[in-house]
Amino acid sequence: MRFRFNALAIALVMVSSMLLAACGGAAAPAAEPTAAAEPAAEATAAPAEEPAAEAPAATDAVTIRYGLWDGNQQPAYEACAAEFTKTNPNIIVKVEQAGWGDYWTSVQTGMVGGTAPDVFTNHLAKYPEFASKEQLVDIQPFVERDGVDLAQYLPGLGDLWGREGKRYGLPKDWDTVAVVFNKDMLDKAGVTVEELNNADWNAKDGGSFGQIIKKLTIDEAGVNALDAGFDKTKVVQYGFVGGGSGGAYGQTQWSHWAVSNGFKFNDGLYATKYFYDDPKLAETIQWYADLNLVEGVSPTLADVRSLGATALFTAGKAAMTTDGSWMIGSYVNDAKFVTGFARLPKGPEGRKSMFNGLADSIWVGSKHQEESWQWMKFAASPACANIVGSYGVVFPAIQSGVDAALKAYGDRKVDVSAFTAQATEANGTFLFPVTDFASEIGPIMDATMDSIMLGEEPAADALKAANDEVNALFQ
Amino acid sequence: MTTMKKTKAGIPTQKIIAWVAISIIILVTLFPVWWVVRTGFSSKQEIYVDTFNLLPVGPTMNNFKRVLGMFTSEEAVAQGGTASGMDFWMGLKNSLVISTTTILGQTFFSAMAAYAFARLKFRFRDQLFFLYLTAMMIPGVVTLVPNYILMARELQWMNTYRGIIAPSFLMTPFAVFFLRQFFLSINHELEEAAKLDGASIPLIFLQVILPLSVPALSTLAILQFLGNWNDYLWPFLIGKDETMRTLTVGLAVFQSQTPQGAPDWGGLMAGTTLSLIPTIIIFLVFGRRAVNAIQFTGFR
Amino acid sequence: MTTRTGLRSAQRSDFAWAWLFILPSIIGFLVFFAVPSVRGLLMSFTNWDLLRPAKFIGLANYAKLLGDKEFLHALRVTAYYVVLNIPLQTVIALGMAVLLDRFTKSTMIRGILILPWLLPNIIVALLWLWMLDPTLGFINQVIMSLGFERQPFLGSVDQAMPTIAAINIWRHAGYTAILLFAGLQNIPKDVYEAAAIDGADERQMFMGITLPLLRPVLIFVLVTSLIGSFQIFDTIVITTKGGPVDATRVVYWYIYEYAFVRFKMGYAATISVALFLILITITVIQMRYFNADTSDLD
Repeated sequence: MRFRFNALAIALVMVSSMLLAACGGAAAPAAEPTAAAEPAAEATAAPAEEPAAEAPAATDAVTIRYGLWDGNQQPAYEACAAEFTKTNPNIIVKVEQAGWGDYWTSVQTGMVGGTAPDVFTNHLAKYPEFASKEQLVDIQPFVERDGVDLAQYLPGLGDLWGREGKRYGLPKDWDTVAVVFNKDMLDKAGVTVEELNNADWNAKDGGSFGQIIKKLTIDEAGVNALDAGFDKTKVVQYGFVGGGSGGAYGQTQWSHWAVSNGFKFNDGLYATKYFYDDPKLAETIQWYADLNLVEGVSPTLADVRSLGATALFTAGKAAMTTDGSWMIGSYVNDAKFVTGFARLPKGPEGRKSMFNGLADSIWVGSKHQEESWQWMKFAASPACANIVGSYGVVFPAIQSGVDAALKAYGDRKVDVSAFTAQATEANGTFLFPVTDFASEIGPIMDATMDSIMLGEEPAADALKAANDEVNALFQ
Repeated sequence: MTTMKKTKAGIPTQKIIAWVAISIIILVTLFPVWWVVRTGFSSKQEIYVDTFNLLPVGPTMNNFKRVLGMFTSEEAVAQGGTASGMDFWMGLKNSLVISTTTILGQTFFSAMAAYAFARLKFRFRDQLFFLYLTAMMIPGVVTLVPNYILMARELQWMNTYRGIIAPSFLMTPFAVFFLRQFFLSINHELEEAAKLDGASIPLIFLQVILPLSVPALSTLAILQFLGNWNDYLWPFLIGKDETMRTLTVGLAVFQSQTPQGAPDWGGLMAGTTLSLIPTIIIFLVFGRRAVNAIQFTGFR
Repeated sequence: MTTRTGLRSAQRSDFAWAWLFILPSIIGFLVFFAVPSVRGLLMSFTNWDLLRPAKFIGLANYAKLLGDKEFLHALRVTAYYVVLNIPLQTVIALGMAVLLDRFTKSTMIRGILILPWLLPNIIVALLWLWMLDPTLGFINQVIMSLGFERQPFLGSVDQAMPTIAAINIWRHAGYTAILLFAGLQNIPKDVYEAAAIDGADERQMFMGITLPLLRPVLIFVLVTSLIGSFQIFDTIVITTKGGPVDATRVVYWYIYEYAFVRFKMGYAATISVALFLILITITVIQMRYFNADTSDLD
């Protein structure tokens, strides 16, 4: 056992760190990213303490640490990594996975301490912050040198990861939103899937989709919400459950409704002004909140906040919800009834879904940037896309990968065309609103949306105030 | 004490009330723990279906098998679980090594300090003691980053047992405070008798104070051991490598994998049940010791 | 009642031994508490964003803190939690400890009482999140089967904080009881016997013997649990994430958000310094009030 302490060594450390703390002054905790990488690499090389897995120092092989948060994708990327090492025998990719919250804590402290993974899966809500704080390698020179064809990705996905001529990621996958329905409940109410796919929606009365929601909402006496005798205090089956208040982006909650009503978050990538005070948004959010507050066809915010809409849907408490394509597996696996996916209803401006996607980024502190780039390029190539697609957990950013995914879902008899049709439809998608200050906008909008959903404030007033607060950040 | 007309029959009534209270407390305490076990044995498709059922719904051993790594990752994903299961035995070993070592050091060194604070006279004693106490009040969010930098850069103890153990090996303010308060309440007579016999301070500490404090020491050691067992953030950040994961860190893989996803309840609760077993055993074995020690030392 | 008798002659040798006894702990204290804290303090005078070199900005963070309404809100919410949590938890734990001490010494029962504390924080929070769910939770099923309205608990602005306090009382009461139980073992049993012969009942013995003699341990429990409850965080991360609206945005959450979500480590450190000063003040008052250094035993 080697945890005996050498008091003298500790005392030395203590004194030196005291000096560091005292003399280094304010600068002491701050990390020069490049300097950070060095000790980290030495730490990895320290022979005695190091677990055997990381001892390729004997050979010429380089180990690239690759971080991702979705455990369901891990087997797919491990298969990609194995394929990659076949053609690049001197590069070994080690996949490190941690759940969403821990993942980011670990990446951030890793950047401070010099131990972040070489390549890590990045998210649009997070990457501008890392980029502006000089933590990501600009891969544009690599892209140009190796002639990577950005046109191979689905339109728009590549743009999300660039800013002012620099590029911080190559797209790996994408997601859209669709309606999730409980087939058994639809059948019982006499609603066909075709009817649902052709439904329209508006913010005034919900359109034919609003009628379907009412038809699917049933009280204790078995009366549905279209009937005058419906008792909204004794609902046993809700027609619709939204995923809560949705915060700043409402990705799976309200963004599709709002944008199909003519709302625009802002003027595009890295805009410096939000339009949360748009009456079109207020109208939409009020409709969304009133599903519960006025109509009683949707559960309360309190009901949704705890375990979430997915749980309520899975428990058979609600007939429909809207959710992102990354959740397909959960819905299909967890429900005891038949689950299906339908197109979003047609709003005044058509069908609109947020189009979001993940990409890998290289950390500036990586000691092996060339090898990291090789892996990153492979992970965003048709070869890896086809492998990932064949696992049927996510839609790859390249069409051939999407086809592989569709085949995998088809083999499992799951129809996911509602998501893919949305992605390929002309003007069917809008991009995730990437701007600065995302981490400050979040808390403001969280509280605002909550209070609207709870009926504490009318949407128009609350959103106007919040919009002023958000735009003040950019001043 | 005032004397009261208290009949002998009154005492059983008190006893009955006491036992009713104890029973209620036990019920309230145990029920949620049972819910953990029950969910561990329930199948994923039924978890939300019959939430009023006290027994496992759709009883299955699959969650436990997944936790113990008896399925391949593809099979686990097909069942709706996460691919990366926890390595239970590796986690158990790491947890045992880390918690045991930490507690041995912490208890002994903290007892030394506590003794000095409680019984010895020296300048700045009370000031220093209060300084120790203040360490409990520093928000961990702030010391986390400097401590992480210390481990990752200056000491380079990432991925080592040392790195995980070190911060609480030599002391925790909690332990020093706890033991000082106990030492304060120990009778002076025995110490003074030993002193008159010419015993030196280390001898008094080892032969009078420590034996007298066995209940306090063992209570502290057990509680700190179990608290250490449940430590999450620090072992997670320092023990990046899979071979360094403790049971509690290993459990986290069953938490939600995506920003909006639900946790893998079955896997999470099966894992929790399994990691609870060693801690219960430890408590029962050493907890009994602690009580027996009270009688053994003849301490009134 | 205090005793500082004797030992005067030995004071000089005390001095050397004392420092030797304290040495190991002092090293641990300096390396892992003092130095990081000094660094934290220094951070509060900078605009450090966690990732790039910091710049010294003097007292700017402190000036910002003085006008920070969100911070005041966070303080108020935290204080509300502490008030809900500490008195009830301490009373319940004390009751449990006395029951154990007077009526059963069973290790098994103590083992049961400590079970909630053996579960990791995250698991406790998730477990209750589910059991308290308005539609899918067991508790509401029971409430409804008794003929009452179901309750939103964590989803309601009014109920969220009391619910979180209740969850943490459930988790910590048994643990606190074990600590107090250990303290009760230090009280000589013949004192009780003598009182019983005098005809004192349980209540009188509790007020006349148990409480005064338990004081050092009771102080310890109060001080540590108060400090702990000001740092309430884990349960909130899992159950309410600061919501609904801002009902559970406690100070610790606020610090965490600034440090790791908003990348403003400098300001996070400033809030921490403020919280630290508040805790020190409260602790000093507590220790003075209870005269913590002495026991009534002698």
